[in-house]
Amino acid sequence: MDIAGSLIGLRDEALARIAQAPDLESLDAVRVAYLGKKGALTAVLRGLKDLPAEERPAVGRVSNEVRDAVEAALAERRAVLERDLLARRIRAEAVDVTLPGRRRPLGRQHIIHQIVDEIVDVFVGLGYRIAEGPEVELDYYNFTALNHPPEHPARAATDTFYVKDQSGGATGAGLESEVLLRTHTSPVQVRVMEKQQPPIYVLAPGKVFRRDVADPSHLPQFTQIEGLVVDEGITFGDLKGTLEHFVREIFGPDRRVRLRPHFFPFTEPSAEVDVSCAMCGGDGCRSCGGEGWLEVLGCGMVDPNVFRYVGIDSERYTGFAFGMGAERIAALKHGIPDLRLLIEGDMRFLRQF
Amino acid sequence: MRVSLKWLKEFVDVDVPVEELVERLDMTGTKVEQVVRTGQALHGVVIGRVLRKEQHPNADKLSYCQVDVGTAEPLRIVCGATNFSEGDKVPVALVGATLPSGLTIKRAKLRGLESEGMMCSASELGVGSDASGLLVLPDDAPVGAPYAEYAGLGDTILELEVTPNRPDCLSMFGVAREVGAVLGRDVRYPEWSLKPHGESVDSQVAVEIEDPDLCPRYTARLIRGVRIGPSPDWLAERIVAAGARPINNVVDVTNYVLFELGQPLHAFDLNALARCDGLTRIVVRRAQPGERLTTLDGVQRELSEDMLVIADGSGPVALAGVMGGEDTEVSERTVDVLLESASFDRACISRTSRALGLISESSLRFERGVDPELAAVASERAAALIAELGGGEVAPGIVNVYPRPAKARRITLRCPRMNAFLGTSIASDEAGSILRRLGIVSEPLGDDLVCTVPTFRPDLEREVDLYEEVVRIWGMERVPSTLPGGRERVGGLDRAQRLERRIGVVLRACGLNEHIGLAFEDPRRVAACGFDLGEGEELVELLNPMSSEQSHLRVSTLPGLLDAVSRNQRHGVSDIHLYEIGRVFRTAAGRKLPKERVVLGAVLSGAWDRQQWYERPRQLDFFDAKGVLETLLDDLGVSPWRLEEAQHRWLQPGRSADVVARGEVIGWLGEVAPDLLAAFEVDGAVAAFELDVRSLARAAVGTRRYEEIPRHPAVKLDVAFVVPREVSAEQVATAIRSFGKPLLSEVRLFDVYADPDGAPERRLPEGTKSLAFSLEYRAPDRTLSEDEVRGVHERLVQRVCEKVGATLRG
Repeated sequence: MDIAGSLIGLRDEALARIAQAPDLESLDAVRVAYLGKKGALTAVLRGLKDLPAEERPAVGRVSNEVRDAVEAALAERRAVLERDLLARRIRAEAVDVTLPGRRRPLGRQHIIHQIVDEIVDVFVGLGYRIAEGPEVELDYYNFTALNHPPEHPARAATDTFYVKDQSGGATGAGLESEVLLRTHTSPVQVRVMEKQQPPIYVLAPGKVFRRDVADPSHLPQFTQIEGLVVDEGITFGDLKGTLEHFVREIFGPDRRVRLRPHFFPFTEPSAEVDVSCAMCGGDGCRSCGGEGWLEVLGCGMVDPNVFRYVGIDSERYTGFAFGMGAERIAALKHGIPDLRLLIEGDMRFLRQF
Repeated sequence: MRVSLKWLKEFVDVDVPVEELVERLDMTGTKVEQVVRTGQALHGVVIGRVLRKEQHPNADKLSYCQVDVGTAEPLRIVCGATNFSEGDKVPVALVGATLPSGLTIKRAKLRGLESEGMMCSASELGVGSDASGLLVLPDDAPVGAPYAEYAGLGDTILELEVTPNRPDCLSMFGVAREVGAVLGRDVRYPEWSLKPHGESVDSQVAVEIEDPDLCPRYTARLIRGVRIGPSPDWLAERIVAAGARPINNVVDVTNYVLFELGQPLHAFDLNALARCDGLTRIVVRRAQPGERLTTLDGVQRELSEDMLVIADGSGPVALAGVMGGEDTEVSERTVDVLLESASFDRACISRTSRALGLISESSLRFERGVDPELAAVASERAAALIAELGGGEVAPGIVNVYPRPAKARRITLRCPRMNAFLGTSIASDEAGSILRRLGIVSEPLGDDLVCTVPTFRPDLEREVDLYEEVVRIWGMERVPSTLPGGRERVGGLDRAQRLERRIGVVLRACGLNEHIGLAFEDPRRVAACGFDLGEGEELVELLNPMSSEQSHLRVSTLPGLLDAVSRNQRHGVSDIHLYEIGRVFRTAAGRKLPKERVVLGAVLSGAWDRQQWYERPRQLDFFDAKGVLETLLDDLGVSPWRLEEAQHRWLQPGRSADVVARGEVIGWLGEVAPDLLAAFEVDGAVAAFELDVRSLARAAVGTRRYEEIPRHPAVKLDVAFVVPREVSAEQVATAIRSFGKPLLSEVRLFDVYADPDGAPERRLPEGTKSLAFSLEYRAPDRTLSEDEVRGVHERLVQRVCEKVGATLRG
């Protein structure tokens, strides 16, 4: 048998085995069997040098063609097998994409503090700083310096929590002492004005206390946010514009605002601020009690008597103040039916917001 | 304040729809809380004329009538009453009408005859008490007209919220004046005429005011020969419309004038008052200790010295401004009436009313303030009405003790300043006309208005009070909205406030949910927890707590958080991760205000998450709480810090530590003591910590310095030390670090092993544990060779073994 013939025979044999190789390992075995150091094809090629010179070119050409054909077939088969292998792996790794993800649930901020932070951010944007004051207050800051006459009903022991005075100060008639749990955040106004001359732009969020039994619409402890501005040239229009900005930021740009004249001892003029009902847009519906408006805060121009207590010249400076309850805003915005949910620490409630 | 629109219209024209009036009142400071339309129940009741009245063929006591109600055919009605005859006009309830009793009229067969309606009695219509027969109407009653309209029953009652600064609006006339200002209408004054007869009051009554501060004015009149009886319908209706109950003509007149003008009056039975030499002596004085008075409501009241009484020669006869005495009240036997019209100190009436828990229409008005100038006018008005209705004679004159007459206040309103203050441009004549309708007379003086404020507006004391009057009537909605234009302001949070926010962010990232607990605390719980108060420190005590469980203020957030854990568990929630940032309170002898501290409290109970498809839940413990703490302190840049074993009554021994940062104890961490868990009805372990937020802030680094990122590879070697069990991981790690300089760059504990108690096979010597560390060596300027590191490492391991008494684990 001539060499060329045996080369062709080896080629056909190799190509057949390559085509049948089931996986990459078998394929590699085929490669070694033919093209390896001791491979069949390698052995034939090695024998070429013993051929007579005149036969070499022809046989050489054939042998090159055979080797090229085998190598090409190996590469092609390898590509096919690799593709198959990857495809199998991908099939095997497919998951049920509807299974829940692996996670550690994030904790939630209390809805009241979300609201407080949101409001704080609005006013920080308007150039306010945040002021704080004690939760246990003196009557002077909570009432007197806020222009509450001595017989003001809010001072009643039925409404205000009084605290035992350890300084030996006399406890007045009945239970009233000079020390109490602040009933609003307004005393912070007085403390700020005592310490600082205008311009003053502050927001004072904090806890306040009233002697109410906890029920769906009352809590003995709740959260107020107080605002105070004192500067030259502050007008009632500034108060109005500020609150309109605030309401739109917090309740949405479509909400309307109205100021209804009202009375507070420490502001003059005073007003209550209503926001148009989100449900009916002001026409009146069940959620706003048919009024079309929801009361959200109280406000007014700082009363000259308050300025007198803190030694600010009410001819030179004017100012405004406002206060609102975070719980009420939470109830309105989120439809919370019972305020007691806010203080119970029920995970099922806390995790909703 | 209940306002009858019909009554109101006597004083001012209300020519706008009720809805508009309500809106205008709301927007000018008098909130209308409710609008009630009365007379609606009589819808379907019309006036009919009885054309024929025949005996019912099947019933002796019934008649069968034909009644003209203005329709083409007369109605046929079966009737049981007998007090009427053909031609009489009576109210007829048509089929479909509903009477105040709730009875709806239907077509019905009565003893075989069909009845197409019902003729009504006063009682059936709810307009009187007479149930004995039909309400027969005057001949001029128009047939077919709705009865309610004919009888004037239809009225609209406005419930007004009158703010405490507006005592003048606690009367019909006062509200009329306000409405006049709001609608731009003038008011009409009530009119009366008084024709006195007989002996002058001066010679029969003497009044003395002992304490003019508490009673600036007292007036008395006499009306003799009064016939006590029921009030006429118009008066009784008004009394009902105002929300009171008709009693008799004299009492009703005093109430009528109270509602009309706002002046509380009191009528005494003159003959029940002590008299001396024909003279009735009235003394207004403070009650004497131990004095008692039975008030009109039949309750005997113990009086005290800060209460004001009206006394005659024998003792107190009325509680000034609050309620009269039972013994001297006007009754059916009364003939002569002494009419008091006075003015009392607001605070005194308020205190008395509160102390006795006794609130009356009179005290409500006095504690808000009643114009002293009104006393004589109202007295005359009431005397005239009593004489008119009760037929008595009014004695000439009035006893009028008025030591310090009220003066109208004069205030200059600077219009330019008002506009600068409000941000408006209201013309001074417009302001003047608004004020005029409110009863404030003003005269222009340049740009200003010189205003005379009437005595019925005690709330108008300063110029700014007048600004408010102008702007509320002019319309707050018309004030242009602006924002303050000040230059010197920069908004923002300070460091502590930012830190507090950051703490929340990190804890939430760790999976904790924020709780807001109550500041109240039960001292027995504080004792059970064993919280240590400092030397001389005490709990803050409330003088008027809601309950003994809330009698003090909290010293820690832990009890409140444990409550929340317990509550969650009761509701079937077992995985609980809560934190709270809030204040705690302590005081000490000599302190007025307590010390308030902001603390951060946290509790972990159950697992992080419920059973998941990818992992089993693991019960949270000490190290989960410590992990949260590490994350937090790391984020805040608190360094160095460590946990130190500590004993705390509220924590389980052996799982209890102090958090020490920069040498200061800033809080504690541990697992809650089992007995405490039982006391709080909590199942399973609770890991908790509490930190002082201010101390935390002090320990937190403001700025972090850049550290070179390593450019050369590290060599990592692991080593397991076997140490006595009482040697802490920290001791070993500290030793490693101290011997590692300069090449050791990182030390990480990656395995802890101890033979379980009672394990059959021991892998370590008795009383020891194995701590395996991964050590990383690195030089900043070159790649270390294995050989170099191995030498360093072996020396280090040996020195650590010597230092902490360790052997190497094989």
